[in-house]
Amino acid sequence: MAALLRGLRVGRALRGFGSVVVPKTSSPQCNGLRRGFHCAALRLQEDKDKSIPVPPSSAASSTTTYHEHYRAPPSKNNTATYMHEAPAPEAAASEAAAKEAPQPNTSYADQSGEQGEEYETEEQLQAHILNAALDFVQLHGWTLEAISAGAETLGLSAASSGMFQNGAGDLVLHFIAQCNAQLTEQMAEQHNQVQLGQAEPKKTAEFLRDAVETRLRMLMPYIDNWPQAMSILLLPHNIPDSLKHLSTLVDDIWYYAGDRSTDLNWYTKRAALTGIYNTTELVMIQDSSEDFQDTWNFLENRIQDIVNMAGAAKQVASTGEAVAQGLMGAAVTLKNLTGINQRR
Amino acid sequence: MQRAVFAHIALHDWTHVFSPLRIRQCCLKHRALPVQLSSRAYSVIPPPRDEAEKALLHSMLRVDHAGEYGANRIYAGQMAVLGRSQIGPLIQEMWDQEKKHLAKFNEILAENRVRPTLLLPLWNVAGFLLGAGTALLGKEGAMACTVAVEESISEHYNSQIRALMEEDPDRYVELLKLIKEFRDDEMEHHDTGLEHDAESLPGYKLLKSAIQLGCTAAIFVSQRL
Repeated sequence: MAALLRGLRVGRALRGFGSVVVPKTSSPQCNGLRRGFHCAALRLQEDKDKSIPVPPSSAASSTTTYHEHYRAPPSKNNTATYMHEAPAPEAAASEAAAKEAPQPNTSYADQSGEQGEEYETEEQLQAHILNAALDFVQLHGWTLEAISAGAETLGLSAASSGMFQNGAGDLVLHFIAQCNAQLTEQMAEQHNQVQLGQAEPKKTAEFLRDAVETRLRMLMPYIDNWPQAMSILLLPHNIPDSLKHLSTLVDDIWYYAGDRSTDLNWYTKRAALTGIYNTTELVMIQDSSEDFQDTWNFLENRIQDIVNMAGAAKQVASTGEAVAQGLMGAAVTLKNLTGINQRR
Repeated sequence: MQRAVFAHIALHDWTHVFSPLRIRQCCLKHRALPVQLSSRAYSVIPPPRDEAEKALLHSMLRVDHAGEYGANRIYAGQMAVLGRSQIGPLIQEMWDQEKKHLAKFNEILAENRVRPTLLLPLWNVAGFLLGAGTALLGKEGAMACTVAVEESISEHYNSQIRALMEEDPDRYVELLKLIKEFRDDEMEHHDTGLEHDAESLPGYKLLKSAIQLGCTAAIFVSQRL
């Protein structure tokens, strides 16, 4: 609490100074090291020595101020929780760090080649933390521990996981949103290729099978913990979001498969694919065959079922029509025979 | 001036002549008003700026689609009963116009990935029953039904036009044009119905209010579901 107030005061003072631009080069030691507290501590020491650069435009300052409000407490918490360095230089260093708060610009950002990414919105920060947390899911499961571990990798305090109101739910939802986005990107790319004539359009059944298989393969690294994730998604407060993700996924797959229906088929197709996806997912989590071959066989069979059903439905409709016409013809013949028609 | 330009183009390869870009350039050169060359030159609704606008536009298109679908089925019902009578060709003509409207909305829905309303099977059956039922009351019944339904639909289109004009008439210029055109067609059907003795049906006022109440309820539900 005191740390929070200190952070606020620092933030307010800094608004006078404007804010800081991240120094371009980072410590060579940090690049090599496994990210950890030492890396952050080293940076803190360095920044203390560097001069404060020119303040940027006022537009950025508000987000930065927010960022600093956020950043200042963790650096204070770091000093409290991890007493690896002497407290005095640490406090001074963290003051400096708070002044140049956007700085523990993490090794993740560096390694991806992003140089200019100084200021983060809260959403971007949350996304970074959750991405980092995914690495720890195999170890800790879909839990707040994984999120804390991920936050620590970025040089933030473990208590940053408190930022996530929904806890593990946030992590799982983030993961499935990411997977869906990846799938949609791949399908859009394929679609473009077909439009440009560089690729042959796939048949619907094949396209559906490939799309569902691609999407389920993204679960493979996490398959051991996936039942936990599924149960998290079934919690009442997560159901609206998980349903929304599922419905968007299925709608996207059908759209790129070429469905442009505007009648009840819109609903039946999506319902069918949702059923296929969910059952295949369930089969996958208890599948122990080589490369999940049983799962893909199951998927193939279900899609064949749907195709057969669609074919059967068409046949029933056309038979029905033929029967109706036959009956009408019989009725008119009867009317003619009995002479009713002639009364007109 | 335009002819000269076209003659000039005629000398070149035809595939270039009819490419959309060329045509657009030609039109741009010779149009009196300046036109914004946007990537949405061929779609009726602009790409939505945010979720709220998307929800609004989608619900408008959904209910319009449901309305045209229902009108289609009403005429089908009327034709089933009165198709072979004297009024048959007139009803067929109005039905064909509704079919064109429905085709246009199908196109827009498919293009913009708008979800159709879940109640379409209900409107399918209800529309057919309404059309057939009123047609059983005779030609005046069918015309009275037409008048009531077309009046409801025109009123609905007018309120959509008002809403869009209030929002941003320039942004929705093509959608407004489309809705105005369809509204004018519906008004024409309404007037045709009146011309053909719709009002001489006994109980005309009662039937008309009942049908219009049903239409209002249908519109309300289709916007949400």
